[in-house]
Amino acid sequence: MSSGLSEMKHSRQVAAAICMRGMRRIKARPVLIVPTIVMPVVLVISFTGAFSSLTRIEGYGTSNIYNWMAPYGALQGAVFAGIGAVGSSADDLEQGFFDRLLLTPGSRFPLLMGTVGYSAFRALIPTTAVFFFSLALGMTVPGGIIGVLSLYIATSFLAVVFCLIGLVILYKMKTQRSLMLMQVIAFGALFISVGQVPQSFMDGWLKIAARYNPITNVLELSRQGFLGDVAWSTTWPGLVALASMSFVAGGLAWRGLKKLAP
Amino acid sequence: MPSRVQALIRKIDMKSVVEANGLRRTFGDLVAVDGIDLSVSEGEVFGFLGPNGAGKSTAVRMLTTLLRPTDGQAFVGGYNVVSQASEVRKVIGVALQDAAIDPLMTGHELLKLQAVLHGIPRQSARDRGEELLERVGLSAAADRRVGTYSGGMRRRLDLALSLIHEPKILFLDEPTTGLDPTSRTALWEEVRRLNTEFGTTVFLTTQYLEEADELAGRIAIIDYGKIVREGSPADLKASIGAPTLRIDIDPQNLDKAQSVLSEFGIDRPARDGRVAIGLDGGVAKVAEVVNALEKQGVEVLHLELDAPSLDDVFAEATGRRLEGAETPDE
Amino acid sequence: MNKNSPNLRLAGVQTLELTQRALQNEFRQWVVILPGLIFPLMMAAVYSSQFGRTLGLPGFPEVRSFLDFILPGSIVQAVSFGATSAGTALALDIEDGFFDRLMASPVSRVPILLGRLGGAAVIAAGKAIILILIFLAFGAQIKAGIGGALIIILTASLLVLAIGGLAQSMAIRTGSQEAVGATFPLIFVTIFMSSAFFPTSLMEGWFRALAENNPITWTVDPIRRLVIQGWSTTDALQALGVPLLISVVTVSLAIRSLQKMLRSS
Repeated sequence: MSSGLSEMKHSRQVAAAICMRGMRRIKARPVLIVPTIVMPVVLVISFTGAFSSLTRIEGYGTSNIYNWMAPYGALQGAVFAGIGAVGSSADDLEQGFFDRLLLTPGSRFPLLMGTVGYSAFRALIPTTAVFFFSLALGMTVPGGIIGVLSLYIATSFLAVVFCLIGLVILYKMKTQRSLMLMQVIAFGALFISVGQVPQSFMDGWLKIAARYNPITNVLELSRQGFLGDVAWSTTWPGLVALASMSFVAGGLAWRGLKKLAP
Repeated sequence: MPSRVQALIRKIDMKSVVEANGLRRTFGDLVAVDGIDLSVSEGEVFGFLGPNGAGKSTAVRMLTTLLRPTDGQAFVGGYNVVSQASEVRKVIGVALQDAAIDPLMTGHELLKLQAVLHGIPRQSARDRGEELLERVGLSAAADRRVGTYSGGMRRRLDLALSLIHEPKILFLDEPTTGLDPTSRTALWEEVRRLNTEFGTTVFLTTQYLEEADELAGRIAIIDYGKIVREGSPADLKASIGAPTLRIDIDPQNLDKAQSVLSEFGIDRPARDGRVAIGLDGGVAKVAEVVNALEKQGVEVLHLELDAPSLDDVFAEATGRRLEGAETPDE
Repeated sequence: MNKNSPNLRLAGVQTLELTQRALQNEFRQWVVILPGLIFPLMMAAVYSSQFGRTLGLPGFPEVRSFLDFILPGSIVQAVSFGATSAGTALALDIEDGFFDRLMASPVSRVPILLGRLGGAAVIAAGKAIILILIFLAFGAQIKAGIGGALIIILTASLLVLAIGGLAQSMAIRTGSQEAVGATFPLIFVTIFMSSAFFPTSLMEGWFRALAENNPITWTVDPIRRLVIQGWSTTDALQALGVPLLISVVTVSLAIRSLQKMLRSS
């Protein structure tokens, strides 16, 4: 009984250590995180600049283009950050450090949890960068602190989802290159969603695709505090989407890890 | 026959800590390890000698629970490597080929992480970490990123990491491949000390004859996934035949020397001013030979004893030579 | 070199030969070409399904559909993928030492550069043709007809020469594949900060100023007029002229860097 308890404590410590290790790597080589900051900021600049006139159209939802595009940029950055966390695992696999982790006694589950936790923390960096950058350029937060919180929850958990999907692919293909594919998938998944315009603006296939794309719910969760007050009716579909995506991707990643490491 | 009896005796009075029966691993059509049997006793230094791609690493990966065997069974520390993998991982320390170390972390950070992975309480982890760093001579470099370490330093850190939880059995997969001679000797020294001072059982793989000869009390030669010879280096070499003893003497004593030497072994060809025999009994007999010669008034000017090498053993077993076939990677 | 014609002819033959090598390399890596087609197509598909309402904004040019509007931008984006490959491939050759071997061989130097650029330009033309056909299949219309389409295809090739020349001089100066590859996001952003996806007349402030003074805009706008308004010789000449002028500058820059490197070594 007490051994079960200490086992759990050990698992928790291992997961925390793996997570901390990722953060230390960022501290050791901050360059690693630069693209994760620059990319979403550049996306925000591009989208707000090119499409600023969208706010003039009836029904866009906001008169401030930053309020619309910043959450989209932050989510995109967070997703890349999540995939970047998988990049550390890919390094480990390629350099053999992964073997050292696998030689840990006890369950392998904390190894997975550690990487997932790291991806969530990593996502805070681009989210914060985009948030303050956009704020400086005139973004407002009518939803207040809860609105900001919704943004952070959405970005961190979407990073977790894409980290898990990335791990599924990594455990199967075992190479750093596989992550390139992952980034294309991620960009596409966010693109075919309500990134730039609301669903009411869409027609044809996109309207259907965006409606059934779970990322739409996540985007709406992250954006609500910038369009108005936070509402439970917008919050729960986002949370459900995040939870179910994490659950499915997590199950697949866990299976992949067990297959990779007996 | 007698060796079978010896083996049986050894099995009875010593605990076998690494045991494999018909261990086999295939990758598609490739048979990497083709049904090997092993038994390593507690406190032994066991060497696994073979060329690149012979199946050494695959065997080690199976014994250390990193790879599932296709067939056969293995026990390490008394635990089944498949069904009791977690128990196995608690009692083994592993330093894998190429020193799998994250270049972005410092020595200290890696030791701390390793301690957490093995569930060692913080305070004892710190003390033990310092002690290990001291022992492998890395105390001064411990706060530097591993990326700045030399190859030898990486291997020594790798060794320290594998020892943090005081394992009873240490697996070293090609611990000195690619190292310069000085670093190599230093690592040998440390492994030897671990074995003698702490009684750690060492299972090492190597492609270097000298390393197997220097370190291992017993070796197995592996080729194409199969163990082709097994025994102590001395026994294996002895099985090749007597070493050649060459003696330089004054040419006028040639006949006298020849008759003395014929009692110690069969004649071997030699150039002028020299006599040579296959010396039965090897090194132990050299003094006796010299004494016998002096008794007859033959002065020994120079003496050479060329023992059969492990390479001769390898050649005899496989038809190929290991020496010179070594390709230091990178 | 341009003093005696046999030398020039030899250089021509070598350029063709090296163009062929570059082309073979590219085709072997069709996986690398594919994203350059799929990505702009995806953007075009999404944008034409979500920006329909923008056509009604005051200031938006008179156009049948957003698909027509975005055709030039999509082609520019498609050829910009892989436009740097003439540079990255050169940098790879330098990293591998293949470049040194070429330098030591009796091939004259300039064809080494032009061969790669030629290969990239041919690929760009191919991509443009494929994209135009796909757009037409989905209902887009080029008002200027076949002549307009030809101008678009030529412009795409010239644009790749312009970007490729820049990438090559970077490759020669840095000798690093990574450094050249890192310019790709810059090109991506440059395209976004142009009229490729949205009319500059609807942009504001500094972004609009940037977009209006962006060579990509100068190239995209005349092609777009060919697509949505009809044939105009002035537009055709502008569409070809802008990338042609830039490529003359960038390619001679690349050649100068090469000669400088040769002199210093």
